[in-house]
Amino acid sequence: MPDRETRGGAAPLSLMPAPHLGVGMSTVRMTWLVSLSLLPAAAWGVFLFGSPALIVLAFSIGAAAAAELAATLPFGRFTLRDGSAVLTGCIVGLLMPPGVPAWVPAAASAFGILVVKQTFGGLGRNWMNPAMGGVVFALLSWPGLLSQWIAPRGGAGEAAALPPLEVLRAALSSSGSTGGTPLAILARAGYPFSDLDAQVLGWINAHLPAPLGTALQPGTFDVLAGHVAGGIGTVSAPLLMLGAWFLLSRGIVRWHLPVLYVGTFGVLTAVFGGLGTGQGLLAGGPGFHLLSGSIVLGAFFAAPDPVTSPLTDRGRCIFGIGLGGLTFFLRFFGSLGDGVAASIVLGNCAAPLLDRWTSRRIIGDAHGRAV
Amino acid sequence: MSWMAIILTFALVDNVILSRLLGVYPAAASAGTMKAAAGIGGFMAVLMAGSAVAGWALDSLVLVPLGFTLLRTPVFVFMVVGLSAALRALCALFFPSLLPATGVSIPEIGVNTAGLGLVLIITRGEYSALESLVAGFAAGAGYFMVTAMMTAIRERLDVEPVPGALKGFPLQLITAGLMAYAFMAFDRAFLVRILGG
Amino acid sequence: MKVPSPSAAAPDATLLPVLFLGLCPAIAVTARVVDAVWMSAGVILVLALSGLAMSLLSGQGDSGPTVRWLRALVITALLTASLEAALVAFAPVASAALGIYAPLIAVNCLVLGVVSPGSLPASPPRSLLAGLARGAQFAVALVFIALIREALGAGTITLFRIGAFTGTIVITGIIERPARALGAAGGGLLCLGYLAGAFRAVAPRAGVKSSSPEKAE
Repeated sequence: MPDRETRGGAAPLSLMPAPHLGVGMSTVRMTWLVSLSLLPAAAWGVFLFGSPALIVLAFSIGAAAAAELAATLPFGRFTLRDGSAVLTGCIVGLLMPPGVPAWVPAAASAFGILVVKQTFGGLGRNWMNPAMGGVVFALLSWPGLLSQWIAPRGGAGEAAALPPLEVLRAALSSSGSTGGTPLAILARAGYPFSDLDAQVLGWINAHLPAPLGTALQPGTFDVLAGHVAGGIGTVSAPLLMLGAWFLLSRGIVRWHLPVLYVGTFGVLTAVFGGLGTGQGLLAGGPGFHLLSGSIVLGAFFAAPDPVTSPLTDRGRCIFGIGLGGLTFFLRFFGSLGDGVAASIVLGNCAAPLLDRWTSRRIIGDAHGRAV
Repeated sequence: MSWMAIILTFALVDNVILSRLLGVYPAAASAGTMKAAAGIGGFMAVLMAGSAVAGWALDSLVLVPLGFTLLRTPVFVFMVVGLSAALRALCALFFPSLLPATGVSIPEIGVNTAGLGLVLIITRGEYSALESLVAGFAAGAGYFMVTAMMTAIRERLDVEPVPGALKGFPLQLITAGLMAYAFMAFDRAFLVRILGG
Repeated sequence: MKVPSPSAAAPDATLLPVLFLGLCPAIAVTARVVDAVWMSAGVILVLALSGLAMSLLSGQGDSGPTVRWLRALVITALLTASLEAALVAFAPVASAALGIYAPLIAVNCLVLGVVSPGSLPASPPRSLLAGLARGAQFAVALVFIALIREALGAGTITLFRIGAFTGTIVITGIIERPARALGAAGGGLLCLGYLAGAFRAVAPRAGVKSSSPEKAE
């Protein structure tokens, strides 16, 4: 089979629905840059959770590479250089709780590479995101093992070993509605935010102009900075956004999908998030929910995978909105993790169909606009 | 069961193909064009709705009162076969190009599996006539949606060279398997919570 | 996909035995080995007996394909109903486990092609054997899938209770952490897909001819 690596921006003409991106950069380079842009978040995760996190990442990336080799070497191809297997391994590992037994991310990566990607012919030919497929497989197979969290360094001890989102869900389902923002509910449930959080917030609140009359709730700093328990790479939204900004500014990822994804999710959460918990409209906690779980990672790094997401900007917009809606429903009413991986694989199912509809309309667009 | 519960259950939570594994063959092996998908999906949807109601009628009005429940299987088999034959005749009359475009040359069998399976599910579930109709339509809609998705994926796959042995039907099965995993996000717990449990 | 036609005699890479078409609805019961065994037993029985019946009845002149097909339908439907009744009476647990998939044996056996009009088996013993053979093929594939799904997906192998044997073999090492996704519907589809691919890859080399299904109208 011909090697589908492209050099520079001169993509060979073909009918393949592979990314035909004109960013003057080869697909291979882009893939490695995505992996690179995950580095800050990964480093933070290892710093926060220690060697278990490093082991998980090593196993997930290693297994992905091994699976890729096993599937391609016997046929005389060597594809590790295109960076996609490593990227799959990175994303899988970063979504994992740091305390998970190392073979679980390995199995997830292997499933993603072998079943979701290589079975269909390898890079560019799969329709489901390999990392997300692997994570969903792991969520369905070993749900209990995917809740092995570790308390963050500098946190408030063992009690801080549960991610805020999990504690919130437990609090809401057990005592019913108690009203208030997610952080307020967490505080009432006795969630131990760190001393650093108390110090920083204490300083900020003391210096907030008096007329504002508001104070930042305890836990704001912890959740914002990613100083809580959670998935290895998913706790720190700022560091993820750093990498995302890099990708967006280089044109490696187009903004439509991620922005509409988080935007839709944010809006739905803000308006309807409180309903399920009896708090009424406009009482959901969009900020908290955007910072919790893997939505930032999913929206900016996983969902925009050019192979498995729509080809046109219009398609991406619809896709993003759809994913936002799905994640909202699955997080608040579903039971498969935090809803992100499940939404993305569901979206992958519908993406080819979406492409059909959006591509059709573009041919003969009445305004003569190019998409 | 409330209406919403019935619709969501039959269309998503217990999707005919992806959860109950009925009617896999027509969806996976049709000609691979969207027209074929529309044809087979639409056909199945109508068949399911019709056989759901007919099955309910036969069961509650004839079989159970007369105590012939043991004859359920033969009666239902004939009913579904008869219905699909009638439906195919209607199709040939009003939409002559629809069914040949599906490229499925053993339509009766796979079709009957799904139709028969649905009838069995519904008659064992003690639904009313209207509920059966709604359930049948919901199941058909779910089937249609999955078929459309699988065909769109397939159209994309057909452009790409794939490992030889897996090409075609095996790959469609694997595609369906992955889709089934995705659809497991819609489970009973989800249904209960979203309907205000 | 090309549906194999009766005229295709040469082994073609895209052909698959009609076996796999018939396996589709049955994989729903492959979450446990014992269920697959019951299903296989039922299929073997119905295939063999209906093959026999068809051959006995076909002696009365040559009817058109539609009549033959309808005859086949009646026979398999009645046989399946009897099978179901027997299960309910003598093995209610199995009946409950098979659920709606027991009656589906009726249409499934038509797919499996032994009783379709094109293949007019000559003599009763021959058709009985043909039915048994096809059923055995079905059984091997089905139980194989069930073994994989249950062993890896639940860490057990469930069989029949015989004397002191409780019927469940526990696989230590897997039982603590089974890959439950394999026990789900998707797992069945994946297993069948890979099995079909493996068969297609291996079969030409083993000299196995892919049999073609008859068009059942």
